[in-house]
Amino acid sequence: MTGTQELKFVSPGFFQRIKGMFGVDFYRLFHTPMYYIFLVVAAVIPAMILSNSGTDGVGQLYTNTWQIIAADAPLYVVGSIGEYANMNMVFIFGGIMVSIFIGHDYKSGYVKQIFTTHAKKQDYIISKSITCAFAMVCMCVTYLLGAVGAGLFSGFSFETETGSLLCAILGKIIMSLGWSSLYTFLNIIFRRYFGVSIASSFFFGTGILIIGVAAIVGNNAALNIFLYGSSVFACLSSTILTVLICFVCSVFWAVIYNVLGTIILSKCDVY
Amino acid sequence: MNAIEIRNLTKNFGDKQALVGLNMTVPVGSIYGLIGENGSGKSTTEKIICGLIHPFGGSIRLFDKDYTDIDVRAKIGILIEAPGCFANYSVWNNLMLQAVNLGIKSAEQEIVRVLKMVRMEGAASNKYKNCSLGMKQRIGIAMALLGDPALLVLDEPINGLDADGMRIMREVLVNITGGGRCSVVISSHILGELEKIATHYGIVRGGKMLKEMTAGELEHGCRTYVALWTKEKDRAKALLSCKYSQVEEEEDNTLRVFDAKESEEIVTYLYENGILVSEIKTDKISLEEYYIDLMKEKESR
Repeated sequence: MTGTQELKFVSPGFFQRIKGMFGVDFYRLFHTPMYYIFLVVAAVIPAMILSNSGTDGVGQLYTNTWQIIAADAPLYVVGSIGEYANMNMVFIFGGIMVSIFIGHDYKSGYVKQIFTTHAKKQDYIISKSITCAFAMVCMCVTYLLGAVGAGLFSGFSFETETGSLLCAILGKIIMSLGWSSLYTFLNIIFRRYFGVSIASSFFFGTGILIIGVAAIVGNNAALNIFLYGSSVFACLSSTILTVLICFVCSVFWAVIYNVLGTIILSKCDVY
Repeated sequence: MNAIEIRNLTKNFGDKQALVGLNMTVPVGSIYGLIGENGSGKSTTEKIICGLIHPFGGSIRLFDKDYTDIDVRAKIGILIEAPGCFANYSVWNNLMLQAVNLGIKSAEQEIVRVLKMVRMEGAASNKYKNCSLGMKQRIGIAMALLGDPALLVLDEPINGLDADGMRIMREVLVNITGGGRCSVVISSHILGELEKIATHYGIVRGGKMLKEMTAGELEHGCRTYVALWTKEKDRAKALLSCKYSQVEEEEDNTLRVFDAKESEEIVTYLYENGILVSEIKTDKISLEEYYIDLMKEKESR
């Protein structure tokens, strides 16, 4: 055969490869109605929380708007819904969004196109984790806006220490990376079972395992090594140390889940 | 240099052996027709080439490089089972997504080019889910053609195509393989169509490569026969069977005489025995018949 000398193969570097993967994932994210629906859902959650915030039988659940964003103190042992229902809810809904986002890759068969051209499975995991983290950060922002709107509408106080509030919001936003990596990992494991992916994401997103452990060990700061623990730790009494702990925890679990996800994906067949 | 060189490829799915030491050589610039019955290992082989499933053993080289090399993989276009498009996206958006995936710089121009190739320019704004099966196959081919691939792996791409779609497919494949710029592996059960475009063939059975040959070798390997029609079919068959080693009666009442040197010889022989031949022609058996004969031969062993 002639013309074989015309064939040239250029080896793309990591940044070129990951740029392509980011391009695909962000293109999909911005062209998926589901993303915008979840942004709206995140904005509506605070209003839903407030509509049920009369009393919990003990007293009024919220007295301050920022309590919808984060609890007053890092309470791992949940006593009332008011201590539980804050910006952490975004991570539950975010898990469902990630499951749908990744599930469609497999359902549509597009994953075959990705894995044919992108031999490195780590590219896929890194890109998915970061794209979904971005989507969760956006959900945190719309949640914040929804909370402010709901607070204004309900006439709650806005008084708080600004530094602590910013540290709490920043801490929770940083946790998005860890959570998205966990959900990406779960979706890699259950990639052929869409329903199980969603159920497992929801299960871990609620932090029920940590809440269960906390019920035994009490409000123990050691629980901060887990995603839910650090997410709870980012509260209205946060400091810069809280942000640092959230950062370390989020990055640590992101690396763990990305490495595990890459190993699993590299050993599994794609159907 | 070969586009694909596979040696002793093995793959198991649980207890089932899907590939049992399969060898395959696809020269650069060829259109390689991969033929075999359902479950013979065609799709498994193609998926392994694409890196979608992992082999148990053996070696796969693409353009003299290991098949896992990222530089080679970036130049593979695929249509495996379904195009892999998002149902709610438009045709354009699906192609744009793949263009982004491949890092194509002038993506819009490239999409227009491939849509023109498969004659789908007018359907760019259609939602993928609203396209017919044939249109979806053509979109899948357009997707595979994005980025000027060096290797196309197509699994049953002709399924669902109408006559016009098949013609377009033939034109596209013949054009892109011209000059050795692209090599194609295509599996199909529609052997009549495959015969029109393939330059090389590989016949797979039970996870093994039964036979590899060029189109020229198939041409030489296919036996010629004389087909004839007569009103006295049964008597003619009995007479011809005495003189020729293989005489077959077809469903359309045709008699096929194999190993006959000249059709005149048959006409004369029958005429001398009082049988008039109403129509006669010399032909070769098709790829499909060749394949069926080969399978029968293997089964009888």
